[in-house]
Parts: sequence; structure tokens; C-alpha cells
Amino acid sequence: MGTPDARSQPPEQLGDHQLNILAFCCHYCAYAAADLAGSLRLQYPPSVRVVKLPCTGKLDVLLVLGALEHGADGVMVAGCLEGDCHYQNGNLNAKRRVGYVQALLTEIGLEPERVRMFNMSSAMGQRWAEAVTAMDGQIRALGPSPLRRPADDLDAERR
Amino acid sequence: MDPISGTPVNEQAIGAVMVVGGGIAGMQASLDLADQGFKVYLVESKSAIGGHMAQLDKTFPTNDCAMCVISPKLVETGRHLNIEILTNADVLAVDGQAGNFSVRLRRRPRYIDPLKCVGCGDCEKVCPILLPDEFNEGMAPRRAVYRLYPQAIPAAYAIEKKGIAPCRDACPAGQRAQGYIALVREGRYADALRVIKEDNPFPGICGRICNHRCELACNRGLADEPLNIHALKRFVADWAMSQDREPLAAVPQTRPQRVAVIGAGPCGLTAAKDLVTLGYGVTVFEALPVAGGMLRVGVPEYRLPSAIVDREVQDILDLGVDLRLSTTVHDLDDLFVQGFEAVLIAVGAHEGKKLPIPGADLPEVLVNTQFLRDVRLAELGQAAAASREQVEGKQVLVLGGGNVAIDCARTAVRLGARSVALSCLESRAQMPAHPSEIEEAEAEGVQLYPARSFRRIRDEGGHVSGVECVDVRSMEFDADGQLKLETEPDTEHVIACDAVIFSIGQRVGLAFIPDDAGVGITRQQTIAVNPNTFAATRPGVFAAGDATTGTAFVIEAVAAGHKVSATIHRYLAGQPLELRFAPDLPVVKMAAADVQTRVHGGEIRLAPRVPMPMIPAGQRLGGFAEVECGYSEAQAQAEAARCLVCGVCAECLSCVYACGAKAINHDEVERTETIPVGAVILAPGYEPYQAELSEEFGFGRYPNVVTALQFERLLSASGPTAGHVRRPSDGARPHRIAFLQCVGSRDQTHDYCSAVCCMYAAKEAVMAKEHEPDTEVHIFMMDMRAFSKGYEDYYRRAQEKYGVRYHRSRISGLREEPGTHRLLVRWQAGAEAADGGRPTLVEEPFDLVVLSVGMEMSPAVRRLGRELGIELDPYGFCATVRFDPLQTSRPGIFAVGPFREPKDIPETVVDASGAAAQAAVLLASVRGSLARERAYPPEREVAGEPPRVGVFVCHCGSNIGGFLDVPAVTDYARDLPHVAHAEHMLYTCSQDSIVRITERVKELGLNRVVVASCTPRTHEPLFQDSIRAAGLNPYLFEMANIRNQCSWVHSRDWAAATAKAQELVRMAAARAAALEPLQTMPVNIERSALVIGGGPAGMTAALALAGQGFPVHLVEREAQLGGNLRNMFYTADDAADPQAFLQETVDRVRRDPLIHAHLDAELVDTAGFVGNFTSRLSDGTEIRHGVTLVATGGQEYRGDEYLYGADPRILTQQQFEAWLAGQPADRPWPESVVMIQCVGPAERYCGRICCAMAFKNALRLKALHPAAQVTILYRDIRVYGFGERLYTEARRQGVRLVRYDFDRKPSVQIANPDLRGRADAAVADADHQPAGLLVRAWDSVLGRELELRPDLLVLSTPLVPSAGARELGSKLKVPADADGFFLEAHVKLRPVDFASEGLFLAGAAHYPKLLEETIVQAQAAASRAATILARPALMAGGAVAVVEPSRCTGCLTCVRICPYGVPRIMTNITGVGNIAGAAHIEAAICQGCGICASECPARAIHVLHYRDDQMMATMGALLESGGVTWERPTPVASPPNSLATIN
Repeated sequence: MGTPDARSQPPEQLGDHQLNILAFCCHYCAYAAADLAGSLRLQYPPSVRVVKLPCTGKLDVLLVLGALEHGADGVMVAGCLEGDCHYQNGNLNAKRRVGYVQALLTEIGLEPERVRMFNMSSAMGQRWAEAVTAMDGQIRALGPSPLRRPADDLDAERR
Repeated sequence: MDPISGTPVNEQAIGAVMVVGGGIAGMQASLDLADQGFKVYLVESKSAIGGHMAQLDKTFPTNDCAMCVISPKLVETGRHLNIEILTNADVLAVDGQAGNFSVRLRRRPRYIDPLKCVGCGDCEKVCPILLPDEFNEGMAPRRAVYRLYPQAIPAAYAIEKKGIAPCRDACPAGQRAQGYIALVREGRYADALRVIKEDNPFPGICGRICNHRCELACNRGLADEPLNIHALKRFVADWAMSQDREPLAAVPQTRPQRVAVIGAGPCGLTAAKDLVTLGYGVTVFEALPVAGGMLRVGVPEYRLPSAIVDREVQDILDLGVDLRLSTTVHDLDDLFVQGFEAVLIAVGAHEGKKLPIPGADLPEVLVNTQFLRDVRLAELGQAAAASREQVEGKQVLVLGGGNVAIDCARTAVRLGARSVALSCLESRAQMPAHPSEIEEAEAEGVQLYPARSFRRIRDEGGHVSGVECVDVRSMEFDADGQLKLETEPDTEHVIACDAVIFSIGQRVGLAFIPDDAGVGITRQQTIAVNPNTFAATRPGVFAAGDATTGTAFVIEAVAAGHKVSATIHRYLAGQPLELRFAPDLPVVKMAAADVQTRVHGGEIRLAPRVPMPMIPAGQRLGGFAEVECGYSEAQAQAEAARCLVCGVCAECLSCVYACGAKAINHDEVERTETIPVGAVILAPGYEPYQAELSEEFGFGRYPNVVTALQFERLLSASGPTAGHVRRPSDGARPHRIAFLQCVGSRDQTHDYCSAVCCMYAAKEAVMAKEHEPDTEVHIFMMDMRAFSKGYEDYYRRAQEKYGVRYHRSRISGLREEPGTHRLLVRWQAGAEAADGGRPTLVEEPFDLVVLSVGMEMSPAVRRLGRELGIELDPYGFCATVRFDPLQTSRPGIFAVGPFREPKDIPETVVDASGAAAQAAVLLASVRGSLARERAYPPEREVAGEPPRVGVFVCHCGSNIGGFLDVPAVTDYARDLPHVAHAEHMLYTCSQDSIVRITERVKELGLNRVVVASCTPRTHEPLFQDSIRAAGLNPYLFEMANIRNQCSWVHSRDWAAATAKAQELVRMAAARAAALEPLQTMPVNIERSALVIGGGPAGMTAALALAGQGFPVHLVEREAQLGGNLRNMFYTADDAADPQAFLQETVDRVRRDPLIHAHLDAELVDTAGFVGNFTSRLSDGTEIRHGVTLVATGGQEYRGDEYLYGADPRILTQQQFEAWLAGQPADRPWPESVVMIQCVGPAERYCGRICCAMAFKNALRLKALHPAAQVTILYRDIRVYGFGERLYTEARRQGVRLVRYDFDRKPSVQIANPDLRGRADAAVADADHQPAGLLVRAWDSVLGRELELRPDLLVLSTPLVPSAGARELGSKLKVPADADGFFLEAHVKLRPVDFASEGLFLAGAAHYPKLLEETIVQAQAAASRAATILARPALMAGGAVAVVEPSRCTGCLTCVRICPYGVPRIMTNITGVGNIAGAAHIEAAICQGCGICASECPARAIHVLHYRDDQMMATMGALLESGGVTWERPTPVASPPNSLATIN
């Protein structure tokens, strides 16, 4: 269940233009690569929040669309290198679904670049940092999602 | 006793196994055994497991990331309840016998307790010691406190300590010079000061006047000059002086006793400091009006400014020492009456002496100590200025040759003496004064008259007018310390002077000790003490320093002060005064030759010491200004950088202060330990060939020559260059790379092939091209040994897809191009060209040369073999038993991996599992006797309770807390919905925190827990365990990764990192509230096996399983057992009889009551899943079994290539072997034989064993009929490992080898077609036919066609899968590759498992292989199968997919997409609209990937723990609407225990 008042105390430091990018990461490779990026102290923008999946094969089109509908500025999907999926071909399914979502977005007039697939192995901490940086730059260039309501509206709604 | 029978070898069998070596083999063997119910001790000599595989970037032939595949195994090994990892450990001896061994281990200290260390790395950040990182093959630095690599298991840090640096060893006070020098290099002067003061309260003083024996001992002196250690110490002290002095806080007196110290010199003050720090009350009595003793009144200002003495003394007094100046102690008894319980006499030796010669009492005759003291006190106005008047304008002569004499002379110079001379008994060379002091004095105009004996001081009217001397010929002290003096006759002369200063020694002033005080005095007029304890003859009285030894150096006084304070402490605590013996670390003394080697290897760059700046001699005379100016910061750092870091860790203790977990103990010592085990598996791994030994390639001299392992690190994303290939000389991108093969393999010193280099070079070449496609890569080789599954294809892709260029040329040496560091490689080009291009010599430059180094056994492994009494070959490889390839010469000790023979990762993993099976057979009767299981309280029911989330936020030392506001995150968490409790902890994963979390859950009735710390990949199980201990279901746990995903990656933005951490916690808490308990349920296991195939693989596997007590059904299509082994008649070395082995094996199978052989039978069908299969055989039997093992073998290919079948003289190798074995004596031998390699399917895949078989048969023929001429037409000779020796032997025996290419294959003609089809004519008639066979072959080396007319043509055709294998595959639903060989789950890590659970494979059904390889693989498959059969129960469920039947339309989408073929449409389940037939997912075999759930068009499938509502809760907590809701699916029982529906 969603938590209706989860946002009642937004962290103060979060500016109005803070981007919200979700990253669906598979457990074996991308999540591990993100861990390694940390171990190596690679610095990257703080706009990305990781949601862990057992495999990117679990990536659900409706989840991605739901995230965008509710104001995510971008969604990145990060899985194993092609051919290296720990569940044999989950990442290829994810790739297909990402393509599908991008097509849908184009149809409704939203930039397809808001959703993007990355592949990396667990030893590629650097690749993770680069992917996040690239995604941040890409979404920053697009600007906040038009589906996102201004903070004032939200406040008004809550009052 | 027969281990296969399953009976234990002796009654006291021990259910534990020791695995030696923590590489991939050791981990695999450990996991297999631990999963089968044995206790495993995994012994690793390094500080972490992982071995060489952890260093690799990718693995061939799949290009899988090595870390990805090894990391889950690391974690699993690390947290397995029944695997105890013993790091920094070496096996010393194994006593006992199979089943009951006792292993003696050496445990080298880590200095960090792995149970307390949380791996935060705070220690590493402060460690000043840099050394080459061996994990990165020396291409990056690491610290002395380190973790081998970021993913290392155990995750705990370790400290590398080689021993005591010689500088520290030489110092009486044990100053950690190497430690503070390293800190100076890092610019951390306050820390450096702290390190100096750990051992010496007088850095400024010792930095100036110490005689610095450390420098004499410094190993750097062997390279150029020793470090200027005293100057560095002085630099630190000067830095401290330049800072404002902050008064130190007094140490509260915590102990009741008070100690009196007599004398405020360096010894007394050092002891006072130590005692006051220990909590004693300390009073120091000083007769003089100033503290500091000789330092203050004996050493002149120009050498030691008073300000420094005063400051360093004040630092001691601040601690709470009560100092009474100008207070002379008259009576010791008084002190005890006053209540002091111990007295330390440290009065020094302040009384100067005169020689008893005439004139010594004249008024102008002075004494050193008095003179110097007067000068110093005069500065304070505390004494008459007489000293100045006594020398001003005078001709001064100092008598004495020590440092004090020099001080007197140089002081006299400064006081305005007209001239100053110095005369002494000793020759110039013998003078006890420091040479530099003498030089300084001379530079200031002091005239030296050494080697004089003084007769009298001339008295002229009551005044001094000169000293009468005589020259000394020799002087020495005898054994009793008596001076023996010989003077030159007739050399009497006078040195003119009008003032004399005696400086011939000092003695102790003992007037205050009355005769009846009970304190003994020595003949030398010093206080008598026990030299070990410093106790004087009266209890409670101690003495130290010059008062007991006579004049010595300040550092000795400091050392004595420390020692005596320790004894006084023991005395007051009522402990024995003598210290217990504590083993010391060795002193790291380097040999000059080693240092020179390091200089030549470029490791040490020569640089003389940075000179100490001084004021010119001319400017010194005017006053007492300091002569040496001290280093500047840059000079100090430059000098410090010269340190060779002899001891590695220098015990600077920075880590100790940084460690919040208090895990560091520098006093740990090496110990030995004895562990009882039933079996030992040796997996010590290999050592790469030391390439510097092949001097022709310049490794170590030419910077751009690297080893393959170094190149692997350059390719690795976590390597020293972050995955960018760079040449070491200048960091530029290499455009041309050359690989040189067979470096340390197949050469004069290695008669074997290392088996992996061809493939790893191909892989590294491919990866280099993938990184930078325009890189040119050339590989120089003799043969391409792509002999295993998928290797040939990989080799082709390397050439065709990536354009890697291969040259058949062995490079003999390299040259470095002057100025560019490029390397010139010269080779014979054109020879390999099929078009017969003319060979030409080519020389081209390369930016980087990679040496494909082979495998060797390290000296440590050879030692291990010797100590264990197992047989090794001359190269150190382990010799094993024929047809029992893992068994060493000592029963119960098994050898695996490259230790047996060079091999690649899959075969190493196979070995490891095979050895696990061997050990399990040996110990089957005690399985489970030592294995532990975790006990938990019953689970609490939380359904119906509102979520009560507890949030625990981790500081991770400074790793999180140093970069974001942990308390703010905690406060924020506390106010989140459903959160009932939030707190922060220094380390959430430390033992006390884990317990606290458990307690909190119980106390506060929490029903969900969030830990905000690091990564769930390593830490989730730990926390799940802690909530399970509180009775919570482990799935009610969630982590927020605020370290790896936040503090570490946003470390420059406190606000953003804090905000993001708050969001991550909010997401985790929201998800936690939505979590539900999940159950895993035990599924019963049918404890028997079905083995399909009765060849060597099937029989071996059956015996290995039956030996462990598991019933086996062995199914064989044919009427008899044996398979391909029936076609093998001799071995290459002719040392064993394969047919005898076959007979013995068949007999064992027949005899074994647990093996049920079904001959003439086939599998009809099979159903069920892991643990619960039901199969029907063609003989009508129905079998229930828990596992299935496929060992259907292969058969020799018999196609019509090269006219096979058209002539009886054309045979296959198997036929030829049978003929050679059975050839009756009366039949003639063929005079010439031609063999053609790579026939038929072998043009597609390498037949692996054909080369060896060809050599075996050729050599057999040569042995039986030496005159026979054998010609082998080959493409590549692919005998790997020790098979190379066959190749060598064949050449030695004159077998002709002719290489051909596939685009110019040999051709065969039959000249006499009449004989076609007359198979019965056979070879016997061959010699009656006029040269019937004609073979034409293009010799690419000679560049011309050969015509051969052999009596026999033998075709090397490969093994192909057995007939029926494909059909069997579809019955079992297991995949096969394009050539029909069954496909394993993972080439590297699950080489004998099928992807489907519970199915295994072995033998030629997997790929052609040699008999011994087949045996090992069958043992491995048996081991893997046993990990299932030996489990108490299979656990099914947890985070798996479940179907909601009421939504299922039975559309088959899930059935089609599941990579494991798990979902099935069951007619007995009702789907949507009450229509029969819905999908069912068996929990026991579902892998939980979720591919089906996301594809299901009806959204009827949910992955538990990742349900839609749980996912949306996470996302919703982040996204702005906050209230995203999601339709909650109808709850389904999770997971359904659905066995009933199937069986």
C-alpha cells in the first residue's frame, strides 16, 4: 500500500528542481555495480534512487508507467550485460519492455528518453557511475516531467 | 580398507574436512561438503579467500565477468554455518590417517579481530604506509592495513607486518621511526608528533642531540645513504614548536600510591610521565633551579635551545607531575616517611672529574660539567658569570675527546676565547665524539691535538701556562676495562694555554645516600641495581639512567625511564618485577644484494639524503644561535619519501585510534593450532611464472612489458586504471599490443603446457578490442590450444569478428626502442600463409607487450607437499593415483586444481566437487556429526497487527556519519508513517548492535525492521538473522543502502547526501510496512539417484553415490557395462591396464548392494522435480529418485571423410588401437602410417583427446616396431597440460609432423580400387599390395606438396554424442549445444549441473574427454547430486512466483517465457471463469526471477516479496503524489504446498 502521508515532511534540503529518477537494478549485476561504485568512492549526481529487482526480467511495464504517471522524471533500468543474465535472458525481456514503454511514451507525446536501459557487470562500478551521470544529464536536459505537479499544488491539496 | 564400501576407515572417523586454499576450487569443495553435512575448515594463506579468479576481469569462453560469477560464491562461503574460514593460516603438518587426521596450522596474526571488524575502512584511511598492491599485481599502491579487494571475504581488514624496522630495533627507546617518517611524508605532522611521543617525550631534544643509532641501522644505507631520521624528528618537533602550545589536560590520579622521583633529567621525567599517565601520584625532586637535567645544564644552547627543553618538560608537568625545584633530597627514609611508596633515583652523573696530575688545582683549571652548567645557569641569572671571565680572551685547552669535551670547546669559542684547542688520549679516529661534531668544532677554529698523554699542567706563578704532553703510540682497554697505554719515547712537548678544561668523564653524585640507607653502590660509584628490573638493593627503591650506568645518551635515559616506570608499576601492583617472555617480531634486515636487485629492478630509485641546512661557520661564533637550521616542509617530505618501509606496518597506531569498533590489537602473535579432521583436500592453486626470469623479454626492465595477470587488472573495471588499458611507461593508450605465448611453458625449464594461456590470451585480446576497437592485437604462438567446449569457436570469433591476428612464431627476445619505450618484436612472417608466401623476417614496434605466463607451483606449495609427505613431481605438481586422479599418495588427502596439473577454471571446479565426493565417501558414516544448525525461537504471528517499523541507522564509523547527518536521518525516520522506533548506532553490524536490534524488536513489539546502512548483498542475511532471533519472519526486513548508494558517492555534498538518505529510508520504511511474512516449507527428498549410462562416467558416479549410502539405479542401453572404456587397451605410458580397471570397476558395481544395474534398458519418461522424480524404464521398472545424472558418453565418429569405409587400410584411432593391442606376432607391421587429425566434426569443434590418442598410438607402434615411419598431418597440436610430454616424446621418436590448413586439406586416393570393400583383407595383406594408398598434403612450412604412400591411414575422428542422446535430452528437457553435447548450467561455476535443478551430467555426454577427466567429472557430478540427497529436506518457497488461478486464462505465456521451464498448465486447477486448466508454478524449483510475472497478460502471477503493492509502496514513498495506490491482488496462500497436485 502506498503511504498517504509519506511525503508530509519532505526533506528541507530538497530543492523544487530536484530530479526524481528511479533506477530499477537487478540484484546480481547492476545493484552490485552500484555497490562497487560506492566502494570506489566514485562521485555522481544524487538524483537517482535505486529500487532493487531480483532480475530486470521482473521489470513490469505498468510499474514503469506508474512511476512516470506519478511524477518520476526518469526511469533507468540497469541489468546484466547481454548474454550474462543470471536468469539466462531476463535482461533481454527487460530490453524489449523498455523499448515498448518508449514507444508508448512517444505515442502519448512524452519524451521516450525518460526511460533508458543500461547493461553492466557487477565489476563495472565505473559504468554505473557513468550511467547515473548520463541519465541525470539526459533528464536534466529534458527538464522535470510535465506529469509532475508543482510542489505548491501539492501543498494546497494537502491543506 | 575399501573407502568405496562406505564403511569408515576407522572407528574414530571425524565428520570434518580441511580444505587448503581459498580459491575457486577451495570454495567449491567447501560448499559441496558443507551442503552435504560436513564441517569444513577452509584454510587460506592470504587474508581473504578468492584466489586468482578474483583478480580476473572476464572468463573465457563466455566473457562472463569473473567477479560476477565468483562473488555470490564468496558470500555463500563466507556465511555458511558449517564453513569456518581460517585466513593467514598455513598447514604445517598432518598426522594420523584417512578418517582421523590431526592438522597442525600456523596462524599468522591479522592484528584485527575479524569478529569485531565491521569492514568500515576507517583504519585504511589513516594508515600512512604505502606498498605495492599484490592484488593489482603491483600496479597500484595499497596501505599496510588493507582488504585484499573490495568484495573480499572475510570482509574484515588485516594488517601486514613484516617485522620490526631496523631503525626501531636500533633505538634503545624503540622509537617507531618508520611510522612517523611515513606520517611526515603524508604531511600529517601532529600525528607524527604523537607517534614520536608514544615512545619518547623529548622529540625536539632527541631530534637535535641524539646519537641516532637508527641511522646506522637504516636499510636505505645499503642503496645509497641512510635516511636523515634525526632531522625528520627535529622537523616534527620544530613544527610543534611553531604551533601555539595548548596546555595539556592533567591525568586524574586514579591509583592511591605516590612515587618520588629524584632528579628531573630525561630519565626521571620519562618515568614520571609514564607513572602519572598510569594514574599514580608523582613528585619529582630536583636540586637545580631548572628541570631537564643535563639537557638543560649540560648541553650548550647552540645545540639545544632552552626553549625546547622547557616546552617538552612542561608537556610532562601538565599531566599532573608535582615538580619541586631547588629541592635536594638528603635522606631516602624521609621520602618513605612522607608516604611515597616507591622512590626512583635518577640523579644522573653531574660531577666532573680531574686527572690527578700536578697543576690540576690551579685556579684556571676548570671541570666540564661545572663549566657548562655555570654557563647555562648564568643565562638565567642563577649563577655567577665567572665562567665567561674564565675563558674570555684566553688560550683555552680542553682535555678530553668526547662529545662533552667538544661542547666545552665550542662553548669556549662562543664565550670569546682567544683560541681554543682540544687534546685527548685517543687518536683522531678513536675519538668518542661524533665525527660531525668534531668537524663542526674544527670548522669553528678549534685546534685538535689528539693522541696525547698529559703529564702536568705548567704552573707559572700560580697560573696555568701550558700542559706538558707526550705522544701516545697506542691505547686500548683490556677485558677488565683497565686502560693500557703505550707512549712514544722522547716526544715530550708543551701545548701552550692559559686555561684548561677537564672533560674526562662524569660521575654520579651520591652524597645524599647515607651508608645505612640500604642502597648498595658499585665499585664504579654508581647505584647497584638489578639490570632487568632497575630495583636497587632496598625494596621500593629503584634507580635508572646515568646514576646506574655512568654517562650515556639521552635516548638511553628515556629508555631506562620507560623500563623503570614499568617495573615500579608492577611493584606497586604487587606483580612479579621480572617481565614474562613475549615473542618479538623479527627485525627486517635486508641483504645488500636484495637491495641492489630492487635498485636494478627500478623498485628503489637512488636519491641521496636531503642535506640539512646550516648557518655558515663564520656566523656561528658570535653567539649561541643554533647551527643546524632544520628541514623545510618540502625537504622533510622529500627525505621521508626515501624510506623503504622495511617493517611494512610500523605500529604508528593511527589505525588503533581510528577504529571505532576497537578491533585492532597490535600485540597479537603467531600461534599454532591443531584441528582434527577426517579428510584433507589440497587446493593451493598455482603461481604465475615469474616473468623476470625470462630476461630476454625484459620484464621488470622495460616498463611496457606486462604479464597477462597484470593485463587482466588493466582490463578490469575495478583495476588500477579503472578498466582503461594504459601503458605503464606514460599512461598512454596502447595502439598496438603483442601477446607472447608460452612464457614459462613448453620450454627448456617447463616440459608441460599450462593449458590456459592460449585461451586467456584470446580473451584478453578480444577484451582489448572491445575496449578500443581500433587497437591492433597480435598473438605470437606455437599452437592454438583451444581444446575444450566452445574454445575453437571462441578462437575463430577472436580472429573473424575481432580481427585478432595470430602468428605461428615463437618470439626469442625483445628490444626496447630508444626513447619511446616501445618494444620491437621480430618474427618470421609468411611461414604460416597457406598460399606459400615466402618466409621473411619482420620487425615491428608494439606499445605494449603481454607475456602469457604459465603456471608453476610456488615454493610454499612444494613445502606443503613435503611436510605432508605426499608425492610431488619435479615441478612441484602433485602426483596422484592412476584411475583415481584426485587421490594423492597418502590416503585421505586429495589434490585438486592446478596443483595436479595446469588446468582452467571449469576443470578446477570439477576437481573440487570430485574431491568433495571422495571425502564424503570416506566420511559418510559420520556425516552430520559436526555440522551445526541455527536454533531459533518460534515465529511470531504478525498478521493483523498494524505495521510497527523499527529503523536502525548506521554511522558505519565515519563512512556514513562523516558524510551525512545520521542523527537527522534518524529523527526524520522517527516521524515517518508506521515507524515505531528509530535509533542510530556506530556500527549496526557489530555484535552488540545485532543483539540490541533483537532486543529492541522484542521490547518494543516491532514487527518490521529497517536497517539503513550498507548493502543487502552482504549484510541482509545478518540482520534477517537478528530479527529471526527475535521471533520475526526474516522477510519482514528491509535495508536502505545509505552508504554505497549515498554517503560514499555524494561525499562532497552533505546536504544532498542527507536528503537522499532520508528519502532512501522513507522508501525502505514504506516498503517494510507492506512486507508480509513468507514461509519456506520442507519438501521431502527421495534419497536415491538415477544414473543414465553405464560407461566409466556412469559407473564412477554410481559408485561414488552408493559409497555415500545412496541407492543408485544405473541404466545402460547395451547388454554390458563399460561404454567407451571397452575400446581402450593401453595407456600412453603403458603403466596401467585399462581393461583390468574396467573389469575391477564392473565387479565393484556388481557387488555393491546399493547399485541396481538395469542393462539393455532405456529411460522411457520422467516426471516430477528435484528431490521427487518418477521415471519409467523400458524394462518396465518405475523408479522414484531425487536426482538424475546423465552419463550417456559418446561414440567415435565414423563418417566417410578421407575415404573412410572404402578401404580396410583406412582406420580410426580406436580401431588402430584395437589392432595394435591385438596384433598377433605373425602378422607383419606396417612400415609407414599416416594419421590425419581433425577429421569430420572435428573441423567444427576440437575433439580434445585426438592429438593425445594419435601420439599414444604412434608411440605404441614405434615401441613395437621401431622401423615404422609415422607421419601425422595436423592443424594444431593440442596436447595440453602434461600431454605435452607425449608430443615431445613423439618428436624424439622420429614421428613426422606436418601441418595443414582447413582450406588446403590433405587428399586421399586409393591406387588399387579392386580392394575396395574387402574388409576381411585387412592389414595383414597390406604389404602385398603395391602402395595402395596415396595421401597428398600441403606442407605449409616447406611451402610444397607432399605425396605419401602409407601402408595404413589412421583418421583421428572425434567423439560425438551417443546415439539417442538428443532423444534423451528432450525427455529430460535438458539443452544440448549445436554439436549435440549436453549443455551445463554455467560453463565456469556449474560445469556438471544442468540448469534444471536436480539434473547433472558427466563424461563424454558433456564433451569428449580423457578417461581420468571422465572419472573426476563423474565424481564431481556425484558430489553435486549428493548435496541434494544429503540435505535433511529441500526448502521450497520464499520469494518465488505464485499463480492466482482465478485470474489465469491458461494462455501459456508463462510456460513459454520461463527460462527454466517451471510453469505448467495443470488441468486439475480451475482458472478464470471456472474453466479447468490454469498455470502452476512449483515453488521447489522456481528461481524467483519474475520474468513470468511481468509478462503475464492477466497479471495472475505474483513474485512474493516483490508484489505490485510492495513495489508501489517503495516508489510511492519517493514520488510526489505520495499516495500512489495499486490494486491489491487477492491474497494467495504463499507458497502453496502443491506437491499433492503433482504426485
